[in-house]
Amino acid sequence: MDTWTIEADNLVKKFPHRTAPAEKNANNGQAANIADEHSEQLPAMEPIMIESSQDAPSSRRIWPFKPRKPQGWLTAVAGVSLQIRRGEIFGLLGPNGAGKSTTIRMLCTLLEPTSGTARINGFDIRKQANQVRQSLGIVLGGERSIYWKLTARENLAYFASLYHIPPVQARRRIDELLDRMSLTARADDLVEKFSSGMKQRVAIARALLANPPVILLDEPTIGLDPQAARQVRDLVKELQSEGHTILLTTHYMEEADQLSNRIGIIDQGRIIALDTPTALKERIRSEDIVHLEISGWRPELEKTLKRIPSVDGLAVRYTGRDSVWDVSLQTANSRAVLPVILDSLSHNGTHLVNMNIEKPSLEDVFINLTGKALRD
Amino acid sequence: MATNIDILSPANRPGRPSFVSELRAFGGVVRKEWIIFRRYPSWIIAMFVWPVIFPAVYIFTARALAGPNGAGMAIFNQTAGTTDYLGYIAIGTIVWMWQNVVLWNVGFALREEQLRGTLETNWLSPTWRYSFLLGSSVTQLVTMCVFLTVSALEFWLFFGVRYNGNLGLVLLVILAAIPSIYGLGIAFASLVVTAKEAHTFVFLIRGMIMIFCGITYPLSVMPGWMQGVSRWLPQTYVIAAMRQAALGGASFTELLPDLVILLAFGVAWLVIGYLLFSVMERRARQTGAIGQY
Repeated sequence: MDTWTIEADNLVKKFPHRTAPAEKNANNGQAANIADEHSEQLPAMEPIMIESSQDAPSSRRIWPFKPRKPQGWLTAVAGVSLQIRRGEIFGLLGPNGAGKSTTIRMLCTLLEPTSGTARINGFDIRKQANQVRQSLGIVLGGERSIYWKLTARENLAYFASLYHIPPVQARRRIDELLDRMSLTARADDLVEKFSSGMKQRVAIARALLANPPVILLDEPTIGLDPQAARQVRDLVKELQSEGHTILLTTHYMEEADQLSNRIGIIDQGRIIALDTPTALKERIRSEDIVHLEISGWRPELEKTLKRIPSVDGLAVRYTGRDSVWDVSLQTANSRAVLPVILDSLSHNGTHLVNMNIEKPSLEDVFINLTGKALRD
Repeated sequence: MATNIDILSPANRPGRPSFVSELRAFGGVVRKEWIIFRRYPSWIIAMFVWPVIFPAVYIFTARALAGPNGAGMAIFNQTAGTTDYLGYIAIGTIVWMWQNVVLWNVGFALREEQLRGTLETNWLSPTWRYSFLLGSSVTQLVTMCVFLTVSALEFWLFFGVRYNGNLGLVLLVILAAIPSIYGLGIAFASLVVTAKEAHTFVFLIRGMIMIFCGITYPLSVMPGWMQGVSRWLPQTYVIAAMRQAALGGASFTELLPDLVILLAFGVAWLVIGYLLFSVMERRARQTGAIGQY
């Protein structure tokens, strides 16, 4: 019998939104307006004028603080269910705005789900929120989640008190973590003088203070240079070997592929695929991925290429170099379809800069499932 | 660094909540606020310069209106019950500055955490959330004690104010005033987290105190309806009691009615502050306001 350390059952999160259209039924596959990093979900507090009219009082009145009524709902998470075993690294992979951070925030009790529930280490997120927080170590917001006007040691001492760690144990634990994060030499420097990578290590040390069984990492390597990012990934693997259960959100498919025992691909608030990285890639193993770098690309060419038989998926992305676009096509028979593609491009006045054929990656899995690139 | 410890076992995890550990967490908040306060040296300017600048406007205005040789003082004495206009204005402006600083510091404490990005991190901990507001209030109270002392000394040094009252009774008035002054700040903090831009609210509240609470003039010069409003503002009683204690030589018995009213206001504002905080916290979990910039 499996022991689930994290269980989520049909988590839904909707926010009131002023300008969103009336809620569409996501079950019908119609577009829902999705926001992950929601910014202005609260009603505006601003003056409104009631104009005199036949249907309104004749005098003008100004109501200074009347909130506008929400006109619709923003569905950030449209029903996420997952189960994570003890000691597993589970990667939640999806583009910006997919619902990853909202899902994490519901699991760690910062956000109240609109419906659905979850259990962390056996504790219900709605009814046993404090016990959930005691079981969790969370890295959210990276370098902004710690105090820049405190030293690394002061930061950890402060958060140790919030996690009810007795002072003697706290001092020992802080020394251990500073050593582990290679911060001992800078422990008494203000965090504002640290690099991004060092600040992230302080944030991770903070999350590990209470030696939590469950660790939630929200985009832990975002904004880090490659070396710092690799150090964080190595640390995640170490933590797993110590028995921690880790839920990791990322939009870097290489990171998810490298670290995760299983991956949930999330898009528009739903998990659209969930399996091991190998199994996910096996789904389209019969496909070749043809990468073309093209100059002179025009948007109407996308339809032309999609109409070619045997082209099963297509994603276009600007490379940022000299009007060169990256076109990725999925096809079961690259040998047969390539001449047709090249002929079509030639007739449309485009110029082929580079081409290669690869086996599918997780990004290709995502394209196959959604029709768009992970980085779009 | 692999280990074989069972990390699900509570015995292998430090940190069990208890009353003592919650007190320790509260102490951690106070300590953190104090360390950050010390690392922004601009507070020194506010501490020493503002007590001189702000009342100077009113003091010099009063001197001008008093006429040659202070002929207008007799009229002031009839309405205010004293000719000591310097001390009168000094006490009123001290109380106004105290409430103003509390509104900005305590009132924006949670908002500051939100802007830094640390509010979410704090609220992820298994600590009573109200501790974060109370902790910042305690730190602010300590600095305000220094501020009030410096202000009193500067009024004595620069404006010649003479204190004829009882220091013990002055401290008693300050203690009685703390719940209502900080209760308003705590209530305000909850509104600021969701409203975000609340500078207008601060200007409104301190403007009301400036006009209705008699900081530089006796209440009797206001129209009747304004005097009615002033009776519902705790700062009115703080100013009146402080003047009696510091300048008028009043006894404890004479101060008692104002002290009782102040404590009642204090309890009410602390309850309002806690209720608003609970509503704000619930709403923030529904809307995600905690993590919003």
